[in-house]
Amino acid sequence: MAILEVENLKTHYYIGDKPVYAVDDVSFTIDRNETLGLAGESGCGKTTTAYSILRILPANGKIVEGSVKLDGEDLVTKSMEEMRKIRWKKASIVFQYAMNAFNPVLRIGRQIVEVIQEKEGGSEQAAALTVAGLFEEVGLEPSRIDDYPHEFSGGMLQRAIIAQALSCDPRLIIADEPVTALDVIVQNKILDLLRKLQAKYNLAVLFITHDLSVVAENCTQVGIMYAGNLMELGSATSVFKESLHPYTYKLIGAFPSVTGPKRRLEFIPGTPPNLMKPPPGCTFHPRCPYAQDICSKELPKFEEISNGHYARCHFAGQLEFGGEE
Amino acid sequence: MALRTTVGTRRYIVNRVVQTLIIWFLIVTLNFIIFRIMPGDPRASIIEQGMPPELRQAIVERFGLDKTLLEQYVLYIVALFQGDMGFSFSHFTEPVWETIFGFRFTNTFVLMGASMLVAIIIGMVMGVVAAARRGSKIDTGSTVVFLVAYSMPVFWIGLLILLYLGFNFGLIPLAGTITRGVEHANFIEYAADYLHHMIGPWIVLTLSFIGGFYLIMRDSVLDVFTQDYILAAEAKGLKERTILYGHAMRNAMLPMISVIAVNMPFLISGATMTEFVFSWSGLGLLTYDSVLAADYPVLQGVFLFLATITVISNFIADMLYLRLDPRITY
Repeated sequence: MAILEVENLKTHYYIGDKPVYAVDDVSFTIDRNETLGLAGESGCGKTTTAYSILRILPANGKIVEGSVKLDGEDLVTKSMEEMRKIRWKKASIVFQYAMNAFNPVLRIGRQIVEVIQEKEGGSEQAAALTVAGLFEEVGLEPSRIDDYPHEFSGGMLQRAIIAQALSCDPRLIIADEPVTALDVIVQNKILDLLRKLQAKYNLAVLFITHDLSVVAENCTQVGIMYAGNLMELGSATSVFKESLHPYTYKLIGAFPSVTGPKRRLEFIPGTPPNLMKPPPGCTFHPRCPYAQDICSKELPKFEEISNGHYARCHFAGQLEFGGEE
Repeated sequence: MALRTTVGTRRYIVNRVVQTLIIWFLIVTLNFIIFRIMPGDPRASIIEQGMPPELRQAIVERFGLDKTLLEQYVLYIVALFQGDMGFSFSHFTEPVWETIFGFRFTNTFVLMGASMLVAIIIGMVMGVVAAARRGSKIDTGSTVVFLVAYSMPVFWIGLLILLYLGFNFGLIPLAGTITRGVEHANFIEYAADYLHHMIGPWIVLTLSFIGGFYLIMRDSVLDVFTQDYILAAEAKGLKERTILYGHAMRNAMLPMISVIAVNMPFLISGATMTEFVFSWSGLGLLTYDSVLAADYPVLQGVFLFLATITVISNFIADMLYLRLDPRITY
């Protein structure tokens, strides 16, 4: 059974009474030892999906429909107090800005000890020992436990954040753009570390990023989001090599290839829609070169086109995207 | 844990001490000059019309007013370092030191200390609670109540309290710090009487102080709430208490420290109007009386004491910053 099952998740933000359709009908599952990469432009609902799973949405954000099952338990119906207990015990999150995810006036070790003690109980010494072990595991000197966040470099902070994320033995780790703020060399080291730890602890990982190269390198499964909708979902190879959705194809084509033949980069005209007034029908149709009449009238279903490969497009599987790569 | 004593930090502390001393010395000088260039002749307040010329001369010499400004300055500084602040003009030529520290300082310090302590505690706790429940009834309610209390003139609340609690219901005494003409059997009885007299001015001052502390704390906590580490703390599923008091409050304390340091001199200067309304014999009332009586030595003494406290509390605030925020190093 999958560790995380998200089904028909709809999360809206409310500005006054008006909803912003931030996440609209998103479904996916993540198994143990599996990494799902959720990619898309800024503002397409990736982070909102992540926050919906942990239910740490801002006060005006509401899950209006759908279910989020973690280890078979539906999180959407839990009370806030029950959720509080589940957080970090079963699922933890690695934030994008490591620099700001630690309280600047408290020692790093102290902050991790704090969460271990609240979640697992036990003495401060025992928790400190755990932290020292975790530090070693993520490649930090255990002697740096008593340092303050500002005394760490960006890469070290990201390692400390990962150590913190592992501190209560979660089943699922949500990595919200964990390497975006780092340079490529450090990025690589952090990604290696994440993979290594994932294998060791059999973790399910939800990996959120807008960097497709990071997705290609790290993820077994890929989900492509656009304007709150999950447009395509499948194994990394099939999504990258046999894209079903025009948006996926264009998005991947917009990245220059270092090794492949020279070609014109794809580009997508227009801008993503205002999520307070998403276009009728398929949200991508105003920018889609293949759009037909039906696209502006009917929202396509999210359907399995080939084995384990889903797409939300009326013409999925029927389109020929400008020849070979 | 002691201050982090890196070489830079130690140098900073030494620099700050030297700076504080220099500023203090400048203030002493300025304080001396201001009273010398003020219009009006201080002699007029002690020398009366029908005095014989010899007596006038003797008084002028007694207070050193016949000497040049520079000589007076040197005398003043030398005497100051000997703990001698001169003699009051109006209090039967009592030493200024005595006038200030005899009992008035204690009166002001106890009253202001009690009001400020309670105001800071209530202001901070309510500030945190209001920020955590932003937009709730508690938030709006306490903001309105404290703002109204903050903006009401103290003498007016003072008079209302005297009128209702004191005159109509007879719950509190009308004036003074203790009941006159009563022999107190022991210290406890004396203290009880004293505190009974303090209720009125204490209520007025606490009400007028809370607003400021509350608003600063609420604002500061709201600002901290927008920081990523608070979201992270929530994601970690920490208890609300831990997030509020362990994470938010400590960071929100930093601006509070400056505000408290700026307010410290009130501990000394007292609230002139409140002391006046309640005839609370403290330094505020003393300042008021001294201005009326042109008692320059006393005013000079009060101002100097005030300046000293201001300089010292700012120094302490800087040291506290160093202690509370590890990011500050020099």
